[in-house]
Amino acid sequence: MNAIEVELLAKEYQVFERKPGLWGSIVSVFWREWKNVRAVDAISFGIQEGELVGFLGANGAGKTTTLKMLSGLLTPSSGSVRVLGFHPWKREREFQRQISLVMGQRTQLWWEIPAQETFRLNQAIYGLSEKEYSQSLGELVEMLDLKDCLSVPVKKLSLGQRMRAELAAALLHRPKILLLDEPTLGLDVVMQKKVREFILDYNRKWKASILLTSHNMDDLAALCQRVLMLEKGKIIYDGSLEQLVRRYAENKVIRMVFEERVSPVQIAALGARLDSLGTSALISVPRSEVSKKAALFLSSFPIVDLTIEEASVDEIVRTIFSRA
Amino acid sequence: MRKYWRAYQISIQETLQRRSSLLMDRVGGLAVMLSLYYFWKTLLSGRPSFLGYSYSQMLTYILGMNILRSFALTGRGWELVGEISSGKISSYLVRPLNYHGYALSLDLSKKTIHLFAALIEVGALIFFFHPPFYLPQSILSALAFLAALVLASLLFFFLEFLVSSLAFWTSESGGPLFFFELCVQFAAGAFFPLDVLPRLIQKGLSFSPFPYLVFLPINIYLGRVGEGQIFRDLWMAGLWTAIFAAVSLAVWRKGLASYSAEGG
Repeated sequence: MNAIEVELLAKEYQVFERKPGLWGSIVSVFWREWKNVRAVDAISFGIQEGELVGFLGANGAGKTTTLKMLSGLLTPSSGSVRVLGFHPWKREREFQRQISLVMGQRTQLWWEIPAQETFRLNQAIYGLSEKEYSQSLGELVEMLDLKDCLSVPVKKLSLGQRMRAELAAALLHRPKILLLDEPTLGLDVVMQKKVREFILDYNRKWKASILLTSHNMDDLAALCQRVLMLEKGKIIYDGSLEQLVRRYAENKVIRMVFEERVSPVQIAALGARLDSLGTSALISVPRSEVSKKAALFLSSFPIVDLTIEEASVDEIVRTIFSRA
Repeated sequence: MRKYWRAYQISIQETLQRRSSLLMDRVGGLAVMLSLYYFWKTLLSGRPSFLGYSYSQMLTYILGMNILRSFALTGRGWELVGEISSGKISSYLVRPLNYHGYALSLDLSKKTIHLFAALIEVGALIFFFHPPFYLPQSILSALAFLAALVLASLLFFFLEFLVSSLAFWTSESGGPLFFFELCVQFAAGAFFPLDVLPRLIQKGLSFSPFPYLVFLPINIYLGRVGEGQIFRDLWMAGLWTAIFAAVSLAVWRKGLASYSAEGG
């Protein structure tokens, strides 16, 4: 049985449209025109126990709205959603004890006092015995390298430390479902890597189903065997990241290293970019023309090394988003 | 129960940590108390009584007001409004927690701290200025006062919760609470005894829950409410509390149903 089962799920919001300018503001005090926005539009998918799935999409594509419906924060407008067999929007205690939602830009930690106080509060909220609590906390402190942060007021922690403390607070009760909204937002590269490793560890250790949204391609590439791509509230792709890349990558990149400096003019004429030393170059070419172009370069220049690569995930997704 | 007790403790810690805002709060309250104290002291000098209040009763009313304000009229409406409009409330809604219970625990923690501060302030004022301080004349008035105090605190909690919940619908959200705070101080008798007001307004207010917040508890303390009336008043205070508990719960549920945390 799937841990998460979603069928034709939709969410509509009402937003009011304000006319521009001062007059528009005055009019909007007395009269507002409401407009329906379909944030999520009849999506269906299932997620198995222990699966780690990434949500991909431009801002406003419906990722966060979907996470909120899965966590029970939002009631669906139509369709059905089942998480561990529960209807999330009923917010049953038994359901809430088994899930966790982490929003990167929002904190559940108490700001003025050390994070361990919030942990204690969560211990009480989730009804963990002293033994369960200390065992779980011990593991999380170890995995997240939190030892030095426990007794420091949260407001004094760095962003990276705070995010890790946030994860610890969210995982003390060992949820079977973990919903992460932008978990690496604003973190530096080293910290991003740490958080990613932790998410993967947690997933493997507890067979938790994890659904995460991220704008960071490295997150998705490192973590998710499967990605769901959303565009204007609809799922436009559901499958592996490699396949997505193959499907959408129209270009490949040819990299060349030359035996000696070559003429920049000649290289530019063929559409390639030469590096500042003049000894290597790269060019992005449509898939169908790769072999022809490679042969042309090989015959025209003293090449010692030539590689043909896929375009980076980042680049591809940017192309898809900009098209959307 | 353990979670609410924890929430109470953690909130006490947090409030004590924010020392400067606590201090500012207290200094503001102290200024109100001192100015009213001197105002009434001057007004009453040379008169044996005023509107049926003896000199000591009136000055005790002023001191009692500071305690009532600090305990009954202290809440965390602005925090709730902030949590709703910023969406922070989401982090509570996904946890197995009754938000009303949780909010009440935090409220009580704030009340506890402010009550202690108010007792110290009033104690200091009595110590330095030796005003004639009125003590309850019977055990009944003392006990009924305590009961009225508890009911007043609960009543205010539900009233404030109700008004703050309007933030679910008004995106600017602070407006209703601001208006409520202004009205409540005036209508509860937290600036002056309600007997000062014209009869018609007094009559009107007696059909509202507001006098049960400050005016009635202090009047019970001062022994100005007859024995039979005490029970009727406490019963009414209980009824208002029950009504607003029910209404605030219903509005809260409605608010949650339409809650659409921002972002998509």
